[in-house]
Amino acid sequence: MTSPVGITLENLSIRFPVYGADQRSLKKHLARIAIGGTLGEAGKSHAPVVSALNNVSFRLEAGDRLALVGPNGSGKTTLLRVLAGVYAPDDGSLETVGKVASLLDLTLGLQPTATGFENIYLRGLIAGLTKAQIQAKTAEIAAFSGLGAFLGLPLKTYSSGMLARLAFAVATSVDADILLMDEWIAVGDADFRTSARDRLLSLIEKSHIMVLASHDTSLVKGLCNKFLHLEHGQATGVMPIEAMDEFMAARAAGRVASAA
Amino acid sequence: MGRWRLWTSLALHDIASRYRGSVLGPFWITVTMAAMIGGVGLMYSQLLNLSLREYVPWLATGLVFWTLFSQVITEGCDSFIASGTIIKQTAIPMFSFIFRMLTRNLINFAHQIIIVAVVLVWSGLWSQSNPLLSLVGLVLVMVNLSWLALVTGVVSARFRDVPQIVNALVQIAIFLTPVFWRPETIKAHRFVLHGNPFHHMLEVTRRPLLGEPVQPESYLILIVTALVGWAVAFALFSRTRRRVVHYL
Repeated sequence: MTSPVGITLENLSIRFPVYGADQRSLKKHLARIAIGGTLGEAGKSHAPVVSALNNVSFRLEAGDRLALVGPNGSGKTTLLRVLAGVYAPDDGSLETVGKVASLLDLTLGLQPTATGFENIYLRGLIAGLTKAQIQAKTAEIAAFSGLGAFLGLPLKTYSSGMLARLAFAVATSVDADILLMDEWIAVGDADFRTSARDRLLSLIEKSHIMVLASHDTSLVKGLCNKFLHLEHGQATGVMPIEAMDEFMAARAAGRVASAA
Repeated sequence: MGRWRLWTSLALHDIASRYRGSVLGPFWITVTMAAMIGGVGLMYSQLLNLSLREYVPWLATGLVFWTLFSQVITEGCDSFIASGTIIKQTAIPMFSFIFRMLTRNLINFAHQIIIVAVVLVWSGLWSQSNPLLSLVGLVLVMVNLSWLALVTGVVSARFRDVPQIVNALVQIAIFLTPVFWRPETIKAHRFVLHGNPFHHMLEVTRRPLLGEPVQPESYLILIVTALVGWAVAFALFSRTRRRVVHYL
């Protein structure tokens, strides 16, 4: 195993300024400057800040299949987006070596007025592929989607199931060293579901590192070999998946104890 | 820069989707502009006491360049907001979205410059025209407009009033800029003219096409604004680059 693929996070923190309707207006901003902040409450002169991830450190290398678990709003999706390079860290550092592919939003960049084929091309470009690479994949994507002649029609004529098929086929056509997934993707009718499952599994098989955020414990145990628990932006260390039941039980017991 | 195929494809798609299903397609851009030049030309040539052959080349070059400049400025405000969903999901360089907007508008412009070519041939001005010098001027203008789009794009994403303000300013600017009339006819208050960057942008692009000399002052001002503007834009962008995704 000399594959150089890896992810290193060191004391990484992400803070979101929340720009509500209140904060966006230039008028209010100028008014606040004009009145010198005397009317506003102290500390309200800036947008409220949500601390989405706090001091997260871990290291992953080839062969790691990491499950991100934790309640809603604990920072799982934020962490995936950080790994995808969407959010730059406010503190700490992130280093990823290898080609990252994220299956966070399947419908990303799909244009309703463009045809199926045009969308395959556009999506490929967004994913960073060259024209030749996209052309090489197009036939395979078209065949897998099972949409046939419909690929020549604009997306707005598709049913939601057809759209999901195309989105899935395109999104999973990537070759990635590092694969990011937010929940298991299940789309289409019964037949498509089976082939989609096989395709996803083989994609995971081919990737060196997978990070999957999920609430489905049994799924996670089947797919992953490590896990990391997030709560209020605080992360535990990376633990072997076998320790998960024990950890969850201890957490539940801790909650009961602190409530009592 | 390596992503040029991405932004040109997105820009082409922007244009194609707007005109999909219409018979003329993007040549509607050409037809609309030609109708505008024809109509305004017939009326304003009388108002300004000029023959059509004198006036229409001035008007056509002015309107075509003005349309490019003003649309780049107003759409520049939207360049990040409009691509918000992509920015929030992937790590595509932010400049791609500025280039997408610039490319889209240059494609529009290519459909309109045809009219200018026809007008120059019809009026006989083509023999003295210097398209190469005009192209140099256009590049200089685009260097200026791209820093402006970067700044207004970032600021607009943060403060949603800014696109409205910019729209209003551009609407006023068309009346203060010599698009329809010649700057030579202005005798008093010429500081308004000299202080108007749009005037200089039109000078360096339009005059060479008409075979008329450009004042060195116009080049100088545009070079200075390009340098200062890009310095400001880089300073702003390096501070806000990581924040823009939160604004959207």
